[in-house]
Amino acid sequence: MRHRRTLELPFQESTGVPAPQQAPAPRPGDLPRPVSDRPGLAVAATIAPAQLWLAVHLAASPSQLAPQDLERLGARAQRLTPRVSLDPPDSLLLEVKGSLHLFGGVEGVSREMAGECLRLRMPGTLAVAPTPLAALALARAGRRLGLPASLTGVPASQLLVTDPAQLVGKLSPLPLATLRWPQDTLGRLARIGVRTIGEALRLPRAGFAWRFGTAQLQTLDRLVGRASDLKDRFEVRARFRRRRELLYELESQAALLTVLGPLLEELGNFLEARQCGVLALECRLWHRAVPPTCCVLRLAAPLADPAQLAALLGERLSALVLPEPVRACELRSGPLVARVLDSGGLWQPGERGGGAAARAPELIERLRARLGAEAVHGLQVVEDHRPEAAWEVRELGAHSSGSQCAGARRTVPLGVPGGGGAGPDAVEAVPLAVPGGGAPGPDILSGRSPPESARPLWLLSVPRKLRELHGRPRRRGELRLVGEAERIETGWWDGREIARDYYTAVDARGVRLWVFREREPPHRWFLHGVFG
Amino acid sequence: MSRDLSHLLEHPAIWRGRSAARMRVFPTGFRALDEGLPGGGWPRAGLIEILPSCLGVGELSLLLPALAAATQRPEARWCVWMAPPLQPFAPALAQCGVALERMLVVQPQRKDAEGKSAFWAFEQTLRSGACDIVLAWLRSALPRQIRRLHLAAERGATLGVLFRPREAARDSSPAALRIAVEPAARGARVTLLKSRGGARGSIELSLR
Repeated sequence: MRHRRTLELPFQESTGVPAPQQAPAPRPGDLPRPVSDRPGLAVAATIAPAQLWLAVHLAASPSQLAPQDLERLGARAQRLTPRVSLDPPDSLLLEVKGSLHLFGGVEGVSREMAGECLRLRMPGTLAVAPTPLAALALARAGRRLGLPASLTGVPASQLLVTDPAQLVGKLSPLPLATLRWPQDTLGRLARIGVRTIGEALRLPRAGFAWRFGTAQLQTLDRLVGRASDLKDRFEVRARFRRRRELLYELESQAALLTVLGPLLEELGNFLEARQCGVLALECRLWHRAVPPTCCVLRLAAPLADPAQLAALLGERLSALVLPEPVRACELRSGPLVARVLDSGGLWQPGERGGGAAARAPELIERLRARLGAEAVHGLQVVEDHRPEAAWEVRELGAHSSGSQCAGARRTVPLGVPGGGGAGPDAVEAVPLAVPGGGAPGPDILSGRSPPESARPLWLLSVPRKLRELHGRPRRRGELRLVGEAERIETGWWDGREIARDYYTAVDARGVRLWVFREREPPHRWFLHGVFG
Repeated sequence: MSRDLSHLLEHPAIWRGRSAARMRVFPTGFRALDEGLPGGGWPRAGLIEILPSCLGVGELSLLLPALAAATQRPEARWCVWMAPPLQPFAPALAQCGVALERMLVVQPQRKDAEGKSAFWAFEQTLRSGACDIVLAWLRSALPRQIRRLHLAAERGATLGVLFRPREAARDSSPAALRIAVEPAARGARVTLLKSRGGARGSIELSLR
């Protein structure tokens, strides 16, 4: 079936016979077709005439380059054209057609780019071609062929293609290795005697796709401009950083916040212009003699509102002890994060149908700003039979805002309706939910006995040893054991092995406790929970 | 005629001695207690005080059905535990039907002098409007502070539950509802010390 399908593909590169017009409609999985079957015509027709790509292949080996190096060069290259795209680990692509008349043609642009490379001490080989892949291949080939880099930075004539009609001719002698295909593919091509791009282009399309994969065929199409090649545009990672020198030294935190106000306002404008928010904000306060005081604000959700940032920063500053008066202050933002704005609710929170905890992130931020991040957390159940391991702290990160939780929450069928429904009743009541989807849980209304493995509502993080008298546990008098023991043991897999018999006990004040007796000698008694 | 009259009496501006007009409540889950409380349940906005004779006599079980119902609503807001004296045990809460993903535990530092940050956090949480129910264990609370908390709870449309020791019953308090909880033979005895427009007296409940 697959074989048949590949045979249907038009492949007339060498014969030039037009494809049958009654070709079946494309099915998912079909190979991409060239727009026309005559390559010479197709190249001219499909390359957008307004594209000319300048590729920079850095001389340094990829292991010597840090990712930031390429980004730095990309940022400098944006002086020449807004359409810069990075090709990690060692190449850079610029679409320069629109900039040619500004910098004096291809030579001018190349010279400027080579100058930028030299300024950053990252020499490289430059090549120009109508498609990005061709430019890259030419630049890599220039390195491999050991062409002398011209001192002015203008590419050698072998690496300069401005006319799309000459593209295939210029590419043909290049070795296939410049395309950076997998070594395995290159090896198989070499075994059938195909070593250059021109030889690969002359192979039958269907057979090529079948033997070497459609990805490689698509690469060839993009290389010669039969298929369009979309490149991600590189954008500089922006941070906000402003420093303000004060005319006089400040000591009070309230005055500091007033001084920081304009900086925060500026930050707000900066973020709004980019439709971004920050997750971290650092405020540095500079003193006369001692090192600057740092105050870092970490947020649960991207924030851009200066008023909210000021409120949170105020909470954080009020907890700060200043060693000396402040002479200058500085705001530094963390990485910018795209902010998704949601529409405001029609109802006030708390009203019927009101937004479910839309303001919860704000509350959590505020509590954390004053009490510390670890003071606010959620809880979750862990599947484990040992009480200590059966729960854990749930982090409230950026993705646990109210709306997230609302989406993840299961819907629970509602049981006994309270308050008599929606009649003209004076009382509006919440229907009492039956937990567990209709299965009767601990039925409080009818006063039935609790399920066998009742667990206390309060747990002591560390079991507290109980005093004993004649082997009976005591706490404010003798404890009365109720019901039967529940044995909880083992846990060898993580080294926290236990062997205990749990009892429910009632003390002299009528409080129900969860106590256990060790199964190993010396059979001590411990208090582990309170039923509440 | 009588229907017109009852319709008129439902107006929120009219306050009648024994029944709070159009009060939004969470049913307690205990029929006997619902009948005794004004509006037939825990108020949805405002501060109430629970005074247990000591920790663990059933004061939390008393609130569990309301907690479960409130957190399971599709439009549920947060349920916050402010400065709990021990660790709330998640499996037991889940067993009782409390939706844990709606629960938030706030634990101010131990060195917190006179519970100042706990009081601040309690007030902020009540005022924010992001919570349905806030349970708080404060070491001490003055009537002036409780008045503040009550206003904050009304503004945020939140039920604030303040747990205080039994001895605090002697002090006056502006809370809308004050109940004492004592252990009883089959559960707990709940005494309504103060309830605006509700009944007085003791009710015996059987808890889990």
